[in-house]
Amino acid sequence: MPTITFSLKDLNKLVGKKLSVDEVQELAQYGKGDFEGYNKASDDVKVDFGDTNLPYLWSVEGVARLFKGILGKQKGIPKIKINKSDYKLIVDKSVSNVRPYVAAFVAKGHKINDYLIKQMIELQEKLCENYGRRREKVAIGVYQYGKINFPVYYKATDPESVKFIPLDFRKEMTQQEIVEEHPKGKDYAWILKDAKKYPILIDSKNSVLSFPPIINSATTGKIEEGDGDLFFEATGTSLDAVLLATNIFAQALYERGFTIYSVAVKYPTKTITTPYLFDETIKLKKEMINSFLGLDLEDYNIKRLLEKMQYDYLAGKIKIPPYRGDILHPVDIIEDIAIAYGYDKINELPLTTLTVGSTFKIIEFVDKVRDTIIGLGYQEIISPILTNKEILYKKADIGDFGTVEIENFMSETYSCLRTWILPVLLDVLSKNKHSEYPQKIFEEGPVAVRKGDEIRDYRRIALVSANNVADYTEIRQALDSLMKALNLKYTIEETEHNSFIPGRVGRVIVNGKKVAYIGEISPNVLDNHGLEVPVVGFELNLTNLFESMQ
Amino acid sequence: MEIEKIIGGLHPLERKVLPVLNKVNSLPDVAKETGLQEVEVMRAFQWLQNKDIVKINEELKEVVDLDVNGKEYLKIGLPERRFLTAVKEKELPISALIEKSGISKEEVNICLGVLRGKAAIFIKKDRELVASITEQGKKLLDKESFEEQFLRREFPADIKTLKDEEKFALENLKKRKNIVKVELKKSKIAELTELGKNIIKAGIREESVIDRLTPKLIKTGAWKKQKFRSYDVRINVPPVFGGKKQHYRRFLDEARQKFLALGFAEIDGPIVETNFWDMDALFMPQFHSARDIHSAYFIKEPKYSKLDEKLVSRIKHAHENGFGTGSKGWQYKFDVKLTHRNILRTQGTACSARILASPNLKIPGKYFAIVRCFRPDVVDATHSADFNQIEGIVVEEGLNLRHLFGLLKMFAREFANAEKIKIVPGYFPFTEPSCELHAYTKELGWIELGGAGIFRPEMTKPLGVNVPVLAWGLGIDRLAMFKLGIKDIRELFSHNLEFLRSVKVV
Repeated sequence: MPTITFSLKDLNKLVGKKLSVDEVQELAQYGKGDFEGYNKASDDVKVDFGDTNLPYLWSVEGVARLFKGILGKQKGIPKIKINKSDYKLIVDKSVSNVRPYVAAFVAKGHKINDYLIKQMIELQEKLCENYGRRREKVAIGVYQYGKINFPVYYKATDPESVKFIPLDFRKEMTQQEIVEEHPKGKDYAWILKDAKKYPILIDSKNSVLSFPPIINSATTGKIEEGDGDLFFEATGTSLDAVLLATNIFAQALYERGFTIYSVAVKYPTKTITTPYLFDETIKLKKEMINSFLGLDLEDYNIKRLLEKMQYDYLAGKIKIPPYRGDILHPVDIIEDIAIAYGYDKINELPLTTLTVGSTFKIIEFVDKVRDTIIGLGYQEIISPILTNKEILYKKADIGDFGTVEIENFMSETYSCLRTWILPVLLDVLSKNKHSEYPQKIFEEGPVAVRKGDEIRDYRRIALVSANNVADYTEIRQALDSLMKALNLKYTIEETEHNSFIPGRVGRVIVNGKKVAYIGEISPNVLDNHGLEVPVVGFELNLTNLFESMQ
Repeated sequence: MEIEKIIGGLHPLERKVLPVLNKVNSLPDVAKETGLQEVEVMRAFQWLQNKDIVKINEELKEVVDLDVNGKEYLKIGLPERRFLTAVKEKELPISALIEKSGISKEEVNICLGVLRGKAAIFIKKDRELVASITEQGKKLLDKESFEEQFLRREFPADIKTLKDEEKFALENLKKRKNIVKVELKKSKIAELTELGKNIIKAGIREESVIDRLTPKLIKTGAWKKQKFRSYDVRINVPPVFGGKKQHYRRFLDEARQKFLALGFAEIDGPIVETNFWDMDALFMPQFHSARDIHSAYFIKEPKYSKLDEKLVSRIKHAHENGFGTGSKGWQYKFDVKLTHRNILRTQGTACSARILASPNLKIPGKYFAIVRCFRPDVVDATHSADFNQIEGIVVEEGLNLRHLFGLLKMFAREFANAEKIKIVPGYFPFTEPSCELHAYTKELGWIELGGAGIFRPEMTKPLGVNVPVLAWGLGIDRLAMFKLGIKDIRELFSHNLEFLRSVKVV
């Protein structure tokens, strides 16, 4: 959940306009951001970009860029000048099955202060944790340029072979030791769990830059207030993602006032000079835009709206900014056109085609069953479908009859789906011993039962009555009343069921189908729930009953 | 004359209670004296108080009752008796004694203290302690101790009424774990007022008034010659709890009725879904953050389900390179095994994917689902173990974003009585354009009602649908909390009977 924090003054400086807090809140919506608050004392603005797919907005520079477009202060794709250089990063083939991709650039000529360091770290972390899937897909390192001797090498080595001092530690460690002992090593070791060799970035004088995606070196990989020249790299498992993260960072630093220099990344078979500005174009017809949005936009409107969202537009061709990786399909651009147009200016249209509402026959059926049971004086309950085997079986004194269990449950209390409802109602009674009796409750709802490799949902209803004189007659009257109301003939067979008193439990049969158990709850089961009053009840499989009636 | 009228109106319970108030006046005592149940006496007290015949005061009383161990010992005997019985024939080492008598270690220690105090046993130290019975002990075994007599008495008992030997026994038992408990209890005392005393003085005669109208009185017409005892019609009565719908279920029922009235057809799907229907068919990439182990519940067994493999390969194609929709797709290798993995449904949208792929889909058509969904979360005031979602789609040639906005504004008015409505940009992996619906009401201010959008072509086309599909989801649990005035989401699924009984239906 990327929530970013930045100074309002800084934002205003970058935008070139004094914005009020209300304006910031309003403008953030164009980036699908929720304004979280403004702290006057620290001048901090908080914006939550939630579960969005626009990582370029996770820095104040990106937010300022969007705002400038919306405010008309800048049209089309923002400028970025990338200077050619001789910097090389040489990729060894040993990384190809560990962590194959890397991109880099050098940024010079702007002194950084604490605030800027915080901003850079924030962008770096958000990109790595969210967009970079907790550093697996993308991890980023920033270094003091002056301490690096080019070319830089990216390779994979034996975990015991290289030693360096990682950030936050004082002693030299091997990569193996880092993975086992360093807090960051423990946090991110899972990314390399199948790797036999570990990636490393090392310069031409054998000075280690970092052990991606785990930790930087304490010598080169630490930026401090006053530094003016930086080396940036991103490594990862997806070339597009690594390039995009690099573009986002480069654009932000460029807008901050740095001069950007490219780095030639030499793979065994090809060279990619980064930042690599994708230079992607997409064709989009006016008719398609208008049919999606229900608007009547002309070419010049479309151009204006696209430029507001910082695309370049020429004769039906749209050029996508290099920091946007979210455009898969023309619809993604159509949305931006709608956002630029203003959702609040898009007038609604009514649906005019007549359609007939309908629900499932079984829902109409269960509603009638519920109404009848309520008429008998039962209070309706609803419970989570998630429960546990203790309630379903152990306390009910019966065996498991096909439970769907959860592998990664959060708490034992909610570790499986219920297979029947009656024990849940007994649990309810056990929590209400202080409430006045008689207590009559019922619940109707889904259960799931596993048979071998099949899992099936059923709708079931269970009711229980707890009072000093509860007996079989009482609950049988309830069943009888329900069956008569449903115009159903039924028979009851003697049966055995451990949750009930032997000789006081019956199996209810309708149309030859066994649909319910009915009886007096065994004192053993009552004891398990700490209940001191007699309880009677039945549980009816409504799915089976309904199917038997068809 | 006034007094006569009052006496004429007395209820039979009052007639029984009033005369004994000269002798006793606490609730349990009056019950005992009259042979009535305490609730009946209580009702009589209240009626009498309403008529100013008595004044009811509350008195705090110390009451002793049996605790769990006390109840147990009442059945099986005090441990010291079981101890003595065990060593009656011959001396025993403690471990053997524990085995024979079933006394716990803790109880043994108590017995050693009690029985040595009474010189009933002799202990010698061998490799472990060995206990034997003394002559005194044998005598003790033959008669019932004060403690044992005490356990057999009636409970609960007012401490004030205890005899000396009972008090002695109580003091001893109080020192031991969970045998007796002493609690302060409130007791009602009815004190006669001047009017009450005068009524008793005047005498409560049996009058020939009709108390209860019976079939016989009606048939014989005998009621014509008698007067009816008049009631105090303002009286409070004991509560009865009728059956009623659970508050949240009622809310969901009403929501369903509303959708049916708006021409939507209900759809559903299984609780246990595959990754395929829950996410892949929605064009959510398999690397999406909502898909890892922290965001969905995985089923232990069976791990995988069967799917229509032709459909799987279309979805795979969409993920990998866009399925010829003009999209480049997510550009990664789609994991076919993972798509078969069983999980608990995380979102109602799975139901929409199913109907879009179904031969039963009608175009034009409107569909909705009210279904239980599951996501791993620690249960607290804002997260329940499961939650409900209401979501749906409208499928029709020629629909666009303006129709979607029209639909959303109608929902905001229908479901939240919104005074002001705001639609702002949003993000969902399966819709584009996407938006969020916010509504303003006087009571709640601005609230987020839900999300919506137009399904992406990469989602609809592989499922066989080539017309626009408007999709929306409403946060129905939150809406219900607002409407029902509930602050804690767990109260939607409340198991508190007093709360459930007290929930209003309006």
